[in-house]
Amino acid sequence: MNALPLAFGAPMVLAGLIALPIIWWLLRMTPPRPQEEVFPPLRILANVLKKEETPSKSPWWMTLLRLALAALVILALAEPVWNPRPVTLAGDQPVAIVLDNGWASAEDWDQKHDTAERLINDAEAAGAPIYVMGTAERTNAEIGPFDATRALERLEALNPRPIPVDRQQAFERLATAITATPGARIAYLNDGVETADDATAFAPLAQSGASSMLWYRPDTANLAGLASVENGADALVVHAIRPTDANQPRSVTVGAFDNKGRRIAETSLAFGPGSSTAEGRIEAPIELRNDFSTIRVDGSRQAAATRLLDDNAKRRRVALISGAEADAATAQPLLSPLYYISRALQPFADLLQPRTADLAISIPELLDQKPSVVVMADIGKLPEAAEQRLADWVSKGGTLIRFAGPRLAGAGDDDTLLPVTLRRGERSLGGTLSWTEPQPLAAFPANGPFAGLPTPQEVSVKRQVLADPSPDLFEKSWANLADGTPLVTGETRDRGRVVLFHIAPDATWSNLPISGTFVEMLRRIVVLSRNLGGTEENGTASVSLPPYLMLAADGSMIPPTPETKPLTVGGGATPEVSYDNPPGFYGSEDALYALNLLGPRSELTPLVQPSLSFPVTATAYAADESIRLRGPLFAAAAILLALDTLLVLWLGGHFRPRRGSRPQGGRKAAAMGAVVLLLLPGGWLLSASPLAGGQAFAQTSSPTPAQSAQSPETSDNTIHDDSRPGDQAMIDAVSVTHLAYIITGDKAVDDISRAGLQGLTQFLIEKTALEPGEPIGLDPARDDLSFYPLIYWPVDPNAAMPSEAAIAKVDAYMQQGGTVLFDTRDEMAAGAGLDGATTPAGQRLRAILDGMNVPPLEPVPSDHVLSKSFYIMPDFPGRFRGSPLWVEASLNSESREDRPVRTGDGVSPILITANDFAGAWAVDQRGAPLLPTVPNDPMQRAYAMRGGVNIMMYMLTGNYKSDQVHVPVLLERLGN
Amino acid sequence: MAALGQRVEPVATTDALARARQRAALVPDLLVEARRVVSTVITGWHGRRRRGMGENFWQFRPYVEGEALSRIDWRRSARDDHTYVRDREWEAAHTVWLWTDPSASMLYQSNLGEVSKEWRALVITLALAELLSRSGERIAYPGVIDPFAARNGAERLASALVHSAGVPALPDIANIRRFSDIILVSDFLQPVEEVLELLERLAKHGVRAHLIEITDPAEEVFPYSGRTEFRDPETDERITAGRAELFAQDYRKLYLARRETLAAYCKRLGWSFTVNHTDRPASEALVRVHMNMTADMGYQGGVA
Repeated sequence: MNALPLAFGAPMVLAGLIALPIIWWLLRMTPPRPQEEVFPPLRILANVLKKEETPSKSPWWMTLLRLALAALVILALAEPVWNPRPVTLAGDQPVAIVLDNGWASAEDWDQKHDTAERLINDAEAAGAPIYVMGTAERTNAEIGPFDATRALERLEALNPRPIPVDRQQAFERLATAITATPGARIAYLNDGVETADDATAFAPLAQSGASSMLWYRPDTANLAGLASVENGADALVVHAIRPTDANQPRSVTVGAFDNKGRRIAETSLAFGPGSSTAEGRIEAPIELRNDFSTIRVDGSRQAAATRLLDDNAKRRRVALISGAEADAATAQPLLSPLYYISRALQPFADLLQPRTADLAISIPELLDQKPSVVVMADIGKLPEAAEQRLADWVSKGGTLIRFAGPRLAGAGDDDTLLPVTLRRGERSLGGTLSWTEPQPLAAFPANGPFAGLPTPQEVSVKRQVLADPSPDLFEKSWANLADGTPLVTGETRDRGRVVLFHIAPDATWSNLPISGTFVEMLRRIVVLSRNLGGTEENGTASVSLPPYLMLAADGSMIPPTPETKPLTVGGGATPEVSYDNPPGFYGSEDALYALNLLGPRSELTPLVQPSLSFPVTATAYAADESIRLRGPLFAAAAILLALDTLLVLWLGGHFRPRRGSRPQGGRKAAAMGAVVLLLLPGGWLLSASPLAGGQAFAQTSSPTPAQSAQSPETSDNTIHDDSRPGDQAMIDAVSVTHLAYIITGDKAVDDISRAGLQGLTQFLIEKTALEPGEPIGLDPARDDLSFYPLIYWPVDPNAAMPSEAAIAKVDAYMQQGGTVLFDTRDEMAAGAGLDGATTPAGQRLRAILDGMNVPPLEPVPSDHVLSKSFYIMPDFPGRFRGSPLWVEASLNSESREDRPVRTGDGVSPILITANDFAGAWAVDQRGAPLLPTVPNDPMQRAYAMRGGVNIMMYMLTGNYKSDQVHVPVLLERLGN
Repeated sequence: MAALGQRVEPVATTDALARARQRAALVPDLLVEARRVVSTVITGWHGRRRRGMGENFWQFRPYVEGEALSRIDWRRSARDDHTYVRDREWEAAHTVWLWTDPSASMLYQSNLGEVSKEWRALVITLALAELLSRSGERIAYPGVIDPFAARNGAERLASALVHSAGVPALPDIANIRRFSDIILVSDFLQPVEEVLELLERLAKHGVRAHLIEITDPAEEVFPYSGRTEFRDPETDERITAGRAELFAQDYRKLYLARRETLAAYCKRLGWSFTVNHTDRPASEALVRVHMNMTADMGYQGGVA
């Protein structure tokens, strides 16, 4: 337009600049308004002020300031634009805008979107019909022609998708559509990545009557994808690719995330100059690696930069076979030979157990489940067929771990599945008839798989099987004893391995199986093993997996959309990424199948500009560099206005100190307030000006808030709070011992229970070392009972019968070591009634106990530990005296004259009384007793309290107290 | 920024009704304050210390031939051989005229003063009325109320002031008799010649005048600066000063010169001239005037 790259949106407003001289004249003429003052002695002042003041002129710089202000406002109103954007497609022939909205477009989608929007705006100005289509859309999507409004709507509806583009389909449709309107101009906003069918994709355009093509080339240098991930022995190997025409060395960081999106490991990859592939290793423990759910290139917001990992990369299957009796494992687990192995392997492997002890059946069965590792503990002789199957499996890559034992030691020497030849019989070290000592382990050989493990000092080996000396024995030894005999030997057979531990897998031959080193050794061997399982290789019939979690175009994980269809896996065909099956996790949570965008052999080849029958003009996604100056100009005007106001205030003398000090503070504060008020809008305008500046800024600062909210960087920092509601209540309940009672629902009963336990709590605090917290009322149906050692249950015949679930819960509580103190509180009624008659409370108690496993009961015998656990108690009175306290009968115990206390294990899970303990214990706020005892005897209350203490001590110490009674005798014996 | 001084609520407008209401609302407060002020100064306000007409005993003196026999105090004379006459202290009431400047310039209060000048003038006037009435003097207000003696002189004067309308700017002194006192409470911002002419006429009447000048600190200090437009509350005349602080010194000189002129005139005649600033308590002026009126010691001017 002219020399300056400046254009005006409303140039007519510039005529307002003519008004500047008038403004100048007005400004010159108008003096600042004087301060008006009432002044009674004006006559006297008039004598001094002889000459009349002419209106004073504004200082020239203030006039200049205001003129500049006016000029800025006029300029801003004229909507100036710096670097105005040239129109690309003029003319009213149809414009066809084709966007690649596949995965490679996700990163610079905003740029493509803005370019398309500008093209639509230009076409709208020229009145041309518009076609809009995406190449990764469904083939039946509407493509036009549209008017500009509809075209913009279409454009807004287009979003990048995490799938490859289908140019062939897209251009066929376009060619068909634009044939009707010849002379169409095509603008192809491609993503610069070649697909398989590109060679023929553009052919249909030749007959379409298109007149030209604008070929927008993106910058693909920053594109990077993860082609494959391999779970190696000690690291996860990540292979990344980038476009083959990228030459600059580049380094990217790759993070590993678990299924909750937490970042748990990372590594960095370097693309060398001219190289389009890079490899990185994430070194992490196998347990951590098993948690990897996605691997993601940092800062990359497209689908190919995220690699999804499914179970194939994770846990190994380990089959366990033992020669011991099958029932040994269940009856006496600690003696089972497989116990320590399974405990060691469980954290990082799936264990397969045989269903029968018959090796001929169980070994083929186990091998059908495709284990990576088979552990055979002390199996001396295998059936012929099973041995053959095992040998085949090992040669295909299986890892066989064998443990010695009496059976192996006694087996013949024709066993092929051993790394070394064994001598018959085992060697015993440190026995009664032996000179040798139990041997510790030597340092692990540096060339073996255990290299680097610390040498365990505490491990000693008492028995072992010995290998026949051979030239390669040293190489095969993975671990040795201190005297040089091998402890673990291993051999590679074809693709698999055979490993032998020269000791038994239980703790009889050595204490190695119960040491941490054993876990570490097994882990290393398992990690070394190959993963032989997997859905892909089993060649079974095809299954349809529902979508579980999808990969979004920006690389984040989203729930599946309604458009996503189930993925068909198996049946010989590798599933492919398509519109219906975008990359993501398919299947159920237990067995996820990861569908990834790139395969191990993928390449990112740059898209070549085709030569067509009509001219193809290459152009770049030039960022719109036009800057709207309107906002900054207004901001400048606002700043000048604020400056002017400050100057006026200054000229008015408002910032000068005055002699009259009283009103000065308020005045200064008011002036400062005015300054702040004036500066505020200036600052706001300044900060707002980039927004007003338009898309130019949006181009350069790419992450929009919506996207960055989903980006991995932010999700990394999310703190995962694992606490659950109710945690605090549990912590409170277990941090201090509490007495507890069952809430019957009758307020009078519950209040007495609470007051009674409160009184007992106080008594305990005063008399014993136990300091319980506040008593707690429990609803057996709802609350967790397991935190309380003793639960007081006042049986109330009028209360509702507790539900079966509640009774079952109380029963479980009693089985697990808790004690319930039932109190029918009806000794008076029972005593007054006829013999043999049962009180209502007693009937209710029977009904409750009917649903529980109640042990045989007996009244507390005089030599029961309850009567001696703190005080010596002949009986246990409450408010009433007379009812015995029933406890679990001590079976098989006889009272002996020389023993003051009956011995017995455990604590009675149930105590029953009718003496109304809580009534005797109950105290009010000040500690005074609430209810009288019957008869009203203070000693009876004291005994009731002591009985409570005894019960509590019995609960908390158990039979320890019964041993305590021997202490004086023991001391006496020690002393003599 | 708010103006330094302002014209206070129009306590004195031509609207009679509004004026009456404002006065009525104003007067009780003033009375309370006046009573308080009186009780602080009532000690020391004695009689005339001369024999004469009165009720209180003054002295016994020997009977002189020619005096009326009825004046002999027989009870005292019976105690010895002489004949005594009982003298009483002279308690003849004195007439004091009170006058307050009603002009608009009194309706002024600056941020430096605590009350408006009119307020202060009314307080002093009514306080003096209370004071004088209590001591049995006759008080009067030119153009408002004729001389009277009553214990509730302040109330009566106040109610008379409420009901009075159209008080002239300068007191009408035709009714003022010689040997009476007049207390003029004003800011004396009228042209000094007019004031002097009034004083001249008072002197000719044989009246003793006490001048109390009420002044706002802002008028004396002239704390203005910057471009300021000054307005006369009486005439609404306006003067704009480009930089007001430049004129402060000259103005102050003129202002004090006017005061000196008046003070010198009063001193020459043996009158008192008292200055009361509105940022100072009214009682200062009261005490000073009281002293000047009590002790017949000639000129006792001063600034309070």
